[in-house]
Amino acid sequence: MNKKSRTRLLVATGFIVVVFVVGVVFLVQRQGAYYRQVSDLAAGQYNGKNVKVGGKVLNGTITRDTSGVHFTIQDLTGKPGTVKVTYAGQMPNTFNSGVDVVVVGKYASGDQTITADQLQTKCPSKYKAQATTPPTATQ
Amino acid sequence: MLVLGRLSLTLALVFSLASVLFLALGTRWDRKDLIRNGYYAVYAFFLTTVVSSAVLLQAFLKKDFSFGYVTENSDASLSTFYRIAGFWAGQQGSFLLWLLLIAVVTVVIALLDLGKVQRLVAGAVMVLCATGAVFSALMVFNAASSPFAKAVPGTQPFGLNPLLLHPAMVLHPPALFIGYVGLSVPFAFAVSALLLGDAGKTWVKLSQKWAVFGWLALSLGIGLGAWWAYVVLSFGGYWGWDPVENTSLVPWLAATALLHSFTLYRTRGIFKHWALGLAAATFFFTILATWTTRTGLIQSVHAFEKNQLLVVILTSFLVAIAAVTVGLMAWRWRRFASHDEVESLLSRDFMYYVTDLLLTLFAVAVAFGTVVVPLAMNRTVGPTTYNAIAQPLGVVTLALIAICPLLAWRKTEGATLLRLLVLPAVFAAASVPLWLALGFGSSLRGMVGLVVCGFAAGAVVQFVLRSARTAAGKDGSLWSGLGRAFSGSRSRTAAYFVHFGMVLVVAGLIGSNVYKVEQSAIVRVKPGTTASVSGYTLTYRGMHNGTGPQSSTRAIATFDVSRGGVPAGVLEPRTDVYPVAGAAVRAVILGGWKQDLFVVADAPFDKTSSTIALRMVVFPLIRFVWLGSILLCVGAAVSLWPKARRQEQEAREVVAAEGDADGGLGRASA
Repeated sequence: MNKKSRTRLLVATGFIVVVFVVGVVFLVQRQGAYYRQVSDLAAGQYNGKNVKVGGKVLNGTITRDTSGVHFTIQDLTGKPGTVKVTYAGQMPNTFNSGVDVVVVGKYASGDQTITADQLQTKCPSKYKAQATTPPTATQ
Repeated sequence: MLVLGRLSLTLALVFSLASVLFLALGTRWDRKDLIRNGYYAVYAFFLTTVVSSAVLLQAFLKKDFSFGYVTENSDASLSTFYRIAGFWAGQQGSFLLWLLLIAVVTVVIALLDLGKVQRLVAGAVMVLCATGAVFSALMVFNAASSPFAKAVPGTQPFGLNPLLLHPAMVLHPPALFIGYVGLSVPFAFAVSALLLGDAGKTWVKLSQKWAVFGWLALSLGIGLGAWWAYVVLSFGGYWGWDPVENTSLVPWLAATALLHSFTLYRTRGIFKHWALGLAAATFFFTILATWTTRTGLIQSVHAFEKNQLLVVILTSFLVAIAAVTVGLMAWRWRRFASHDEVESLLSRDFMYYVTDLLLTLFAVAVAFGTVVVPLAMNRTVGPTTYNAIAQPLGVVTLALIAICPLLAWRKTEGATLLRLLVLPAVFAAASVPLWLALGFGSSLRGMVGLVVCGFAAGAVVQFVLRSARTAAGKDGSLWSGLGRAFSGSRSRTAAYFVHFGMVLVVAGLIGSNVYKVEQSAIVRVKPGTTASVSGYTLTYRGMHNGTGPQSSTRAIATFDVSRGGVPAGVLEPRTDVYPVAGAAVRAVILGGWKQDLFVVADAPFDKTSSTIALRMVVFPLIRFVWLGSILLCVGAAVSLWPKARRQEQEAREVVAAEGDADGGLGRASA
């Protein structure tokens, strides 16, 4: 009896753990966005894939219509490269020209656009490292 | 003053190390005199942290801008309230606050034990002092983490980030830290019990209240953070699955599992390895939270200057916690072995176990997605993935919450269970027309979740009624039983509140996630222009200027809101322009029990704007998230409330009576 109930517990545990782990790995594989730089996108290998890139919003590129907001971001590492972004979700409070943003979404190399489903600006988290300049409008 | 601050921190390091040494030797050799000396060193450790905290506090109060940290987190125009909040507004001060809290908790535990001088307690105090030593070493040796650095001459005070100027944001960090520190106590006792090979119940009994206290503070902290995000951050939600949020949720999940495995340990003496492992995991996750939010390794967007020494110290600390736990548990594995066979899958034992397992898996999955996926796989997962994990898991866990208290320990007869499930089933069935009437028929997924909420609500009612009937005995009235059901076992009364709170939170989460309606519109700045969302119509009336906090100027747009042609109120979304920090849009909310209408401008506007990009979001049932969170905290507070002796006696009688009853709710004698 003891042995039987112990086995049953192990089987139940194993079943739950396996289902869970397989589910999580599957989701991460399928939905996990590749963390890349804007300049990495030009090669085209991320066409149709989820990507997460950071970039600076270029001045004068922000336009809005009922389908959302459109803007262009520039590579942050100093390499040449820009990509267009379309975003229809909620705008972060501090979004503006010149702000560093991170976008996550599907990249299409045809029109070099990321259709983003997430947009973050520099988070107002308090645990910034030693600030050397006073906070700017983007802080 | 800076020197005094630095000196007292260095002394705090010295005294914490001294007490670790005394307590280690005293516990090892079972020498009460050495342990007492260790406790005296703890008092000194406490006093020195109080001195260094007082130095920093007076600098904020006196606007002493010779402190670099004060300059960065305050300015002369801030009110006293927000100047005090500056203490923990930055990384360095929050480390000091954390250290102070560790010292407070440690000294309380040491003081309470001064009469008895127990080895088990001494071991735990030693672990807490070691934690204190790590935090003081961090500030003493890493200049960038010290709140006592000199200000760069000529630097203007930065003030506080305007987004943080909100009472919730003042209380949120201390609440989290109190939670983290409270939850390090079970770990300290677990390590002590492992070192001494004491597999009895004492360590659980001694750390249980601290665990509940830590859980309460952490729940409060997370709730305040979510509320702040909703009303201030204006991103149209309260939870973004951001690393900073995730890393506070992970220890909360582990702590919730810990509290349940403590019950198993205390009342049944089973799954002891789980209790030890969860105590360690909870503590590990609290440090992981610090590691994630402060080292800047995860969110590259922040463009942090990475501080190598901070990374090294915190990473080593994490590795040490894991190594100590694994090593000690391997050493003492057999000593803490218990009869973990589950007689029946229809038992409270098994349901508790599954709850622990699911919560642990959930915690690990969120930590994996937040830390491992970005660092080891160079990829990232977002809300879609987390929601896909959280939603089914949340509903399953809620179903377990519902059924678990109705089952007996060891084994429940199928017929008894079926009888007990009638009421929850009636609630579930009765909730269907209610949800349909509220318009939630549009999503099957949402309906399934909401009906489970109905079922779980019924189960909580059944839980209370069962306890009342048992308490009333054969002749007593149900009313007197009800009174005794609530005044009886504290942890059971807590469970009523917490479980019902959880039902409300999950219902609110489903309502505000699955049934959220979002609409953006570009409104021309001309009185009479309208925009609409989900039955609401907003009519633009005009714009005026005002003043906001921190000498900001404010542009306020006025909209009349009507619902189905009936006036529902006025909303005034606005843009605040701060002299240094710049423009920030502010959301406004027209709240109700059925739903909130949340309105915010997508971009800053002023009197020269010709259009306003307006975003309107309807969040059904969101108030239930806040109400449920309050109930969670009430429940935890109830279980912490000290018992009068008479009540304790009564509680024992109730428990004894239940032991005689058919076991529907009865506790097996441990």
